[in-house]
Parts: sequence; C-alpha cells; structure tokens
Amino acid sequence: MHKEIRAVGDNRSTGELSGKIVRFGVILAAVGAAASLILLFTGTGAERFFRSYLVNFAYFLSLSLGALFFVLIQHVTGAKWSIVVRRVAEVLSANIGLLAILFIPMILGMGYTYHEWLTPDAAEDPAIASKLGFLNRNFFIVRWVVYLGIWYLLTSWFYRGSVRQDETGDILLTLRMKRLSAPSLVLFALTVTFASFDLLMSINPRWYSTIFGVYYFSGGAVGAFALITAALIFLQRCGRLGMSVTTEHLHDMGKLIFAFIVFWAYIGFSQYMLIWYGNIPEETEWFLHRQTGSWTPVSWFILFGHFALPFLGLISRIPKRAKGALAVGAAWVLFVHWVDIYWIAMPEWYPNGVAFHLLDATLFAAMAGLFIAAAGRRLGKASLVPEKDPRLADSLAFENF
Amino acid sequence: MGTPTAEKAAEEQIHGVPLVQGGLDFTGVTDTVCSVCERPGATKGWYISFAIASTGALTLFAMIIYLFWTGVGVWGVNQPVGWGFAIVNFVFWVGIGHAGTLISAILFLFRQRWRTGINRFAEAMTIFAVICAGVFPGIHVGRVWFAWWMFPLPYQQLVWPQFRSPLLWDVFAVSTYFTVSLLFWYMGMIPDLATIRDRATSTIRRLLYGLFALGWRGSNRQWHRYERAYLLLAALATPLVLSVHSVVSFDFAVAQVPGWHTTILPPYFVAGAIFSGFAMVLFLAVPARQIYGLKNLITLQHLENMNKIILATGMMVGYAYSTEFFVAWYSGNPYEQFTFMNRAFGPYWWAYWTMATCNVIIPQVFWIRAARRSIPVMLTVAFFVNVGMWFERFVIVVTSLSRDFIPSSWGFYWPTWVDILTLLGSFGLFFTLFLLFLRFLPMIAMAEVKNVMPQAHAGHHGGHRKEQV
Repeated sequence: MHKEIRAVGDNRSTGELSGKIVRFGVILAAVGAAASLILLFTGTGAERFFRSYLVNFAYFLSLSLGALFFVLIQHVTGAKWSIVVRRVAEVLSANIGLLAILFIPMILGMGYTYHEWLTPDAAEDPAIASKLGFLNRNFFIVRWVVYLGIWYLLTSWFYRGSVRQDETGDILLTLRMKRLSAPSLVLFALTVTFASFDLLMSINPRWYSTIFGVYYFSGGAVGAFALITAALIFLQRCGRLGMSVTTEHLHDMGKLIFAFIVFWAYIGFSQYMLIWYGNIPEETEWFLHRQTGSWTPVSWFILFGHFALPFLGLISRIPKRAKGALAVGAAWVLFVHWVDIYWIAMPEWYPNGVAFHLLDATLFAAMAGLFIAAAGRRLGKASLVPEKDPRLADSLAFENF
Repeated sequence: MGTPTAEKAAEEQIHGVPLVQGGLDFTGVTDTVCSVCERPGATKGWYISFAIASTGALTLFAMIIYLFWTGVGVWGVNQPVGWGFAIVNFVFWVGIGHAGTLISAILFLFRQRWRTGINRFAEAMTIFAVICAGVFPGIHVGRVWFAWWMFPLPYQQLVWPQFRSPLLWDVFAVSTYFTVSLLFWYMGMIPDLATIRDRATSTIRRLLYGLFALGWRGSNRQWHRYERAYLLLAALATPLVLSVHSVVSFDFAVAQVPGWHTTILPPYFVAGAIFSGFAMVLFLAVPARQIYGLKNLITLQHLENMNKIILATGMMVGYAYSTEFFVAWYSGNPYEQFTFMNRAFGPYWWAYWTMATCNVIIPQVFWIRAARRSIPVMLTVAFFVNVGMWFERFVIVVTSLSRDFIPSSWGFYWPTWVDILTLLGSFGLFFTLFLLFLRFLPMIAMAEVKNVMPQAHAGHHGGHRKEQV
C-alpha cells in the first residue's frame, strides 16, 4: 500500500567522499590548531586564546544544538517532508560528543573568561556576591557535565535509533522516537537556557536578561538550518542525494531559515527595545558596550546582516528554489551567526572597541576542521537518508504547491 | 506488535487517520454543516443559552452606562493600583483571540491540514474575543469623551497622542489584528456563504446570503484568486499573531516596575495567548460538535492535536514563569526578588498559586494519550486553563502595582461589584456573538474541509495518505 517512490539509482552513500571530507577536516584542524598554538606561545598569551576559544566553542555548540532541535521537532510533529534531510541533521547534532571533549580547555581557561566572578574581589561586590552560590567554578563544571551528558544522550540516542532502523526497518523505532521527542524538548529547553546563561551571559555577571536563553537558541537554530542546507547542497554537488533531496526540500529548508531569521530578530528586538526603553543602568550597560567605539558598526552590521539582508533575500520563493542562491544565503547566515556570537561575548572583555585577533580565525579553523571531520566520518557510516523510515515515500514524493 | 490491531494502531500513529470520519462524502459534509443554520427555528437549548448570554451582555452595557454616569470611582482602582480588572480583562480577551489566527495563518503555512475542521470556529471566536477586549481600554480612560484621543487624529490644537507610548501601539496593534482577522474570516467564508445561498429556500435568505457571498460562482478563476489571496493573507497574518500580544506585553515591560520589566515578556505573552486561545476553542468546540452532530468533522484526532498544542504552550508558559523566578534571584536586585516572593507568598498568594496550578500543573495530564482523548478530561483542563490565564494577568497587573518600591505607598486592590459584573458581562457579550454565529453562519469551513478529503484528489485510491492528519 505504500507508494513506491525509491528514487532508483540515486547515490545515497557517502562512500569514498567520507574519507575526503575527513582528510580535509583533519588538515584544516591541524593547520588551525598549529597556528593557534604558535600564536598562543609566541606572545599573545592565554587570555586572548581562551576568549577566542570560548566564542568559537559557543558557535559550534549552537550549531549542534540547533541540529538537535531540528531532529526533535521533526519527530514530535511527525513531519513527513523532512525524512530525506533528517540524517544530515542527526549527524551534525551527534557532534556533541566532539564538543564535550572540546569543552575541557574551556575549564582550563575559566580564569581568563569568567574572571569577573572567579576573582576573590567578586565576594566584595554586592552585585555579584549574592550569586556566587551559582557562579562558582565547581558548580559551573557540574552543570556543564550535566548539560553535555544530557545532550550526548539525546543526540546519540536519536542518531542510533535512526541508523538502526536503516537495517531493521522496525516501525516501533519511529514510534519510540516520536514518544521521547516531547520530553526531550523539555530537557533541551531547560539545558540550553541555563547553558547560555553560563556560557555567555555570565561573562558579565552583573547583567541579566530573561530572554537570553531564547536568543541563543534562536541564533543556533537559524545557524543549524543554514548548515544543514549548505551540507545538503554540498553533498549534491558531490553527486550524492541528487534525486532524493529535491528543490522542494531545499525550498522548505529556505522557509525555515527565513522564519527563524525573523524569529531571531523578534527576540533580539524584544531584548534590545525593552532594555533601551526601561533605561535602567544595570541593564543598559551591556548594550552600551556594544554602542561604544568600533563596536557600534558591528551592532549595525548585525542588524542589517543578520536580519534585513537575509529577510529581503529569502522572502521570495525564487532564491529558495535556486540552489546557488540558497547556498550563498546559507553561507551568509552561518557567517553572520558567528559575528553575532562574537558580538555577544567579546565586548564584555574588550569594551573599548573591536579587538579582532588572528586567533579568532585560527581557532575557528581548528574547530571547524574537527567539526567537519567528525561529521564526515559519521556520514560514511550509514546511508545519507533514513532508508527504512516508514514515511520515506511521503518525503520523496513531497511537493510544495 | 504482532497482532493486526497493534499494527493498525502503529500505522495510524505514523500515517495518521482520515480527517473526515463516518464515510462522509462532499454532499454529506455540506448537509452536516448547513443543516445547523438552515434549521427553521433554533433548538430550545440555543434559546435558553442565548437568553442567559444576552442578559450578560446587557449587564455589561448597564455597567458601562453606570460607569460613565458615575465615574471610575465605581471600580476598585485607586492609588497605587491604577490598573485593575479592566486591564486584566483586556489582556485576557486579547489572549483568547489568538487561537483563530494561529490556526488559520500559522498552521496553514505549516501545512497542518487538520486545522480545516476548526479554523472557521476559532476565527469567529477570535473576532468576538477581540471585540470584548476592545471594550476595556475604551472605558478605562476615565474621561470617555476623550477616548478618541487614542487615535492619531489631527485637530485644531495640534495635540497628538504620545507615539512613544505602548498604549498607543496597542491601539494600532489590536485594530490591525482585528481588521486582518475579520478580513481573513470573511474571505474564507465566501464560498460557504455561496453554498448556503444556493441551497436557500426563501427569497430573503437567498438575498442576504447572496449579498455577502459577493457573487461567488465557483469558477476556476475565482478559486485561483481566492487561494492566492488566502496564502497572502496567511503570510501577512502570521507576524500579527506574534506582534499583537508582544505589543500588549510592552504595556508592562517597558515600565521599570519590578515584575513587569523583563525581557522575556513578549514571547511569554504570545505563548500564553495561544495557550488560552486553544483552551477556549476546545471549550466551545466540544459541546458544539456534540450538540450539532459534527463528530465526523471535528474528530477526536482534532481535539487531541489541540490538546497537544495546549500542553506545548503550557510548558512554554511554565518555562517563562521559572525563568523569571530564577533570573529575579540571579539579578541580585532586591526589588525584583521581593516582587516574586511577594507574588508567591504575599497577600495575593492565592492568585499566584491558582495561576501556577491551572496553567502549569493541571495541563500535565495531557502527557497521557488517554487524557488527551477523553472529553471530560479535556473540558476540565480547558476550563482551568482559562481560569489560570485570567489569574495570570491578575497576578501581573495587580501584585506588581500594589507593592512597588516604597512600602509607605503600598496598597491592596479589591474589585467592586461593578468590576465583577463587568467581567461576567463581557462573557455574556462573547457568548451572545458566538451563539449568533452558530445560528446563522457555517461553523465549519466546508470548502476547505472538502479540499483535504481524499475525493478532492484525482486517483485518490491508495494514495490517500496526503490528506491525513
């Protein structure tokens, strides 16, 4: 009774491409890491190193978490269109394991990144002293073990369930993943919120914003959707998935990017407007840093680059259905999302102006290389689409109208 | 999963069940829906309900006249609580009015085809709720003869409203929302009005329904334009779903009052609005489908889906409550900390815990599938969600104002009988309009439901899965 549309002859296995991706990733990582270490030991010092490290860690973490969100939301809604693109999202989310390892240097660098609440002087500052029960080294590490543990369990559970179904075709796996996706989303929301408070908001322990968790989430989601789209187009360029993933699926990915660009802007606007309007010094301080000196053009760049430009660029259906235009859009979104994370973190350490350092780029290359290599290795282990998902036929036949 | 029934259940969970049950064909759908408004006289139950509801509406009008005649002193508002029931009711009703546009716009863009069974109903409810909401700011201004100052009309003194005030943004946001919702509702109804016109047996019915059907003939070109317009209106209405309640939240959040000034308020208000709106749709849809025999069109699956949305948005509201509470502590700001402790353990503790119980704890039963599919359970939850969401607005408006920065200026707010009768009267107005809608207009979007039935698609045999939930 299933309509048999199998996209016969489509190449859905990464095959030797996997090795190439891994090789590229490892080389990129090696070059990036070597350059970073040289910079670290030739006078730059650990402070700059760990601050750049934090920005890039927060960036790649947001991408994996956004991919996890994508996977969970497909399961919880029982979506049919997205089956053919889900595997790529699963693979990207499963990079949480890698990020858990990359978290270790974060602990080593805490003295340079979270010095505001780690210095003994913090106990003297009444605005910080009251929260030291929460913001202290040990509890911070415990919380991160919990977050990373939960994310690792979720990503690997959903990834492995999906891959196992490729062999067994067991329909129960689909039902079980659907059932677990709803409570997983609850865990996801709580952990991502607190993780964003810890990772980025606490850089300035005096400042607080209740929407901050949603802001970090919305940026990560839009970044992840762009990354999934870019990965799909890349795989197609390499002769994979040419028939399974059609213009229709890419069109829907484009819609999601567009929707979450608007959502991100809505959250960002809510945060900015309310703090600006309330005009309470303890809150406006944070934005004041970003409206001072050379940070001002960065703020404007984010307003236009992260919202206006992609909004206008993706509003029409034409670019969403043109592979080249969509690829450019996705790459742009990935870039501005990095700038956004940079803009959240850096002005707290360097309030006088943009202090771009080569380490920002070399550490990016190092982490991007590892991220790509880990994803490439996993892409080679299973088919590029969930082969025996009971809704695969619906997804292959999917059409926008 | 060895047994055939278990296999069938699994299959249904994965591929969904047909949206229209009971083997209805196109004619069956038309007959079921039209029979309600074509019945020569309404049922006895309808007359009794209408008598009660219209008494309520008259009470509202009487209270408004009394208020205008005597002045706002008849309400419980005073220093320091200058925003009492009127603002609570305003936010409550605007919130209720969110489900309609969410269902007709956002669920349309998300290709949630089950929305066709309930969208007309929910849109109508939205419009009536926004009407109820619109009453309150107007009568709250005190000097009602200056109420027109809310609108940016030029006049000889060249005094303009304060454009930097969210109260003015509210006027724009709510009136835009009302206009677009009304257009959307009415435009979607045109093909159905034409159906009733064509079935009319009396001249007056033919003329009246014909007038509002705008000469609809169902030609290809008309359908083509109709669907384009529908898509465009859906895209335009989608930001409105978020913007209206965000702007309402700005009324509070731009202030420096502890408990009001918090950045999460806009999305939190939107989630709460959808939460209460769905609860109200459910609360109305369950009896209506029972009384008017619409169980084949509003199936248990539709109700279960709505319950899932109630659970999801309820969790978002709970998330916002907890984030606010945590950040109030984390802020280290004694005023913030006091406000939240005062909400939970101060003189209005009962309002706070009513809110938390109704909005966060009770909807948790919807984690259980059997509860999502049980009529008594869902009616109970929907009732409590509406109670809880009213109390949420009460907690926000009243607790923050009654005890702010200076203890010497603290006060206690208590509603008067006029406040309470005005609130009850607004329900009367709402139900009066809703009962009139049930009586005279097609309460289910027949044309849209038919579009998601397998018969609408050529060669539907076997390939009918597209048309399912």
